[in-house]
Amino acid sequence: MGWEEKQVRGYPEFVQTAQRYHGRPIFALFCGDKDAEGRSWCPDCVTAEPVVRNELRNMPDESVFIYCLVGDRAYWKDPNNEFRKNLKLTGVPTLLKYGTPQKLVEEECFKAELVRMLFTED
Amino acid sequence: EAAKYEKKVMVLDFVMPTPLGNSWGLGGTCVNVGCIPKKLMHQAALLGQALQDSRKFGWQFTEEVKHNWMTMTESVQNYIGSLNWGYRVALREKKVTYENAYGEFVGPHTVKATNKRGVEKLYTAERFLIATGERPRYLGIPGDKEYCISSDDLFSLPYCPGKTLVIGASYVALECAGFLAGLGLDVTVMVRSILLRGFDQDIANKIGEYMEEHGINFVREFVPIKVEQIEEGTPGRLKVTAKSTKGNQIFEGEYNTVLLAIGRDACTRKIGLDKVGVKINEKTGKIPVNDEEQTNVPYIYAVGDILQDKLELTPVAIQAGRLLVQRLYAGSTSKCDYANVPTTVFTPLEYGACGYSEETAVEKFGEENIEVYHSHFWPLEWTVPSRDNNKCYAKIICNIQDNERVIGFHVLGPNAGEVTQGFAAAIKCGLTKEQLDNTVGIHPVCAEV
Repeated sequence: MGWEEKQVRGYPEFVQTAQRYHGRPIFALFCGDKDAEGRSWCPDCVTAEPVVRNELRNMPDESVFIYCLVGDRAYWKDPNNEFRKNLKLTGVPTLLKYGTPQKLVEEECFKAELVRMLFTED
Repeated sequence: EAAKYEKKVMVLDFVMPTPLGNSWGLGGTCVNVGCIPKKLMHQAALLGQALQDSRKFGWQFTEEVKHNWMTMTESVQNYIGSLNWGYRVALREKKVTYENAYGEFVGPHTVKATNKRGVEKLYTAERFLIATGERPRYLGIPGDKEYCISSDDLFSLPYCPGKTLVIGASYVALECAGFLAGLGLDVTVMVRSILLRGFDQDIANKIGEYMEEHGINFVREFVPIKVEQIEEGTPGRLKVTAKSTKGNQIFEGEYNTVLLAIGRDACTRKIGLDKVGVKINEKTGKIPVNDEEQTNVPYIYAVGDILQDKLELTPVAIQAGRLLVQRLYAGSTSKCDYANVPTTVFTPLEYGACGYSEETAVEKFGEENIEVYHSHFWPLEWTVPSRDNNKCYAKIICNIQDNERVIGFHVLGPNAGEVTQGFAAAIKCGLTKEQLDNTVGIHPVCAEV
């Protein structure tokens, strides 16, 4: 069956989508919002996105890849935002395997090898 | 460390499942089924005690406080999972190749790696480092592998163990018995002879006394002869039959869980050491090495719990490993110093020690040449909740012939590990009694004694 992608924006939409696919492997990439021209305010996210997209084919069958825009820069910088509080995210970009302690943060997301390892780890 | 020096490195790590099918991730015993989960569960038990004490300090809550085993275990396992993942990332970043496969020697400079699907690969290398550690020993009596658990299973047990019998008197046995009782479970410890063999016996007995006074039952001088299942379940009910070591008395008891902690055996018998000629101690399975961690085969080294006559502690293994690599690839000459290594036992009353026990000091230096200074103390934090006033204890053993140099340090009380660490550094610098006397104490802390 391969894998499928869901694009969401904001915390409530993320949680709803993750819950809907409970039981399947869920990987999520969190990035800063994009402007009208499609550029994110987060330069690291701009670097990481193509690296991650290139490795998506290594995800196990039936996986769901959730591409989540967290919000604008001001929202992200607030130490009490829902992503920081509930998902314990410490930076963007963050790539994680939902429901496990496995994640890659910031520059770790630039490395194809690490991304591949996250997608293929048992 | 070796990758730092541009060496091409591979790690083969594989966990043979326990008799009950349990396994775990990268990191070895300490991270997965040893120090880390142990300390976290010990902390859980201490927090239970703190909640009780808090009422005397003015905190008001009416509900009875209960403990949920699953909540604790999930949090602990989650943390361990993040450590396993962290190691995977770190190895990758440092370009160390990692294979989750069982390694064994098949010939000179060659190992075979078998993964969990049975796929075999061969690898050759210039040098090899063996750090396979140990696994819990089983009794060899009917019912042991089918019904008993070991520390390998305890920290991820998917159900509360309930009424537990701990067999053994090692620090593993006493630490586990300690936190299980601290979490509110009915715990019994079955001891064949003495407690904490190898540790200062005066302190070992105090630890035992404290545990007994705090509700842990001890059955002394008995060995189990069989374990039967009365009822299946999670947990089920087990019947244990034991025989006295001093006569023909029989003991029978019923428990939900039986935890074996009678010792650990080195994992050196099934890794093909005979194929490359590495000598091991046939009786214990341990590997003798020289003071540079080299086995009798020059290109094969070993570190950690499998070494003969060396301390079985995580930081010792790490230090030995790092220094070995620095000697091999960075021109260093530093060897691992195995003397005066501090250690702590996390029983309900914690015990920190560095240097000689009283018995060993007497044996080595002669009773007339050593002086022991000791004191009971009552931690200030224990006064208000009216906890024991005569249980905490500290002693130092000095060598009279060498300026009363401190050769043994023992403390029994809260945060013993934290207290001992500093004194270990002082002992390494050659601390004498006079210097200790001249050091002004911090008040009010236990360590000022």
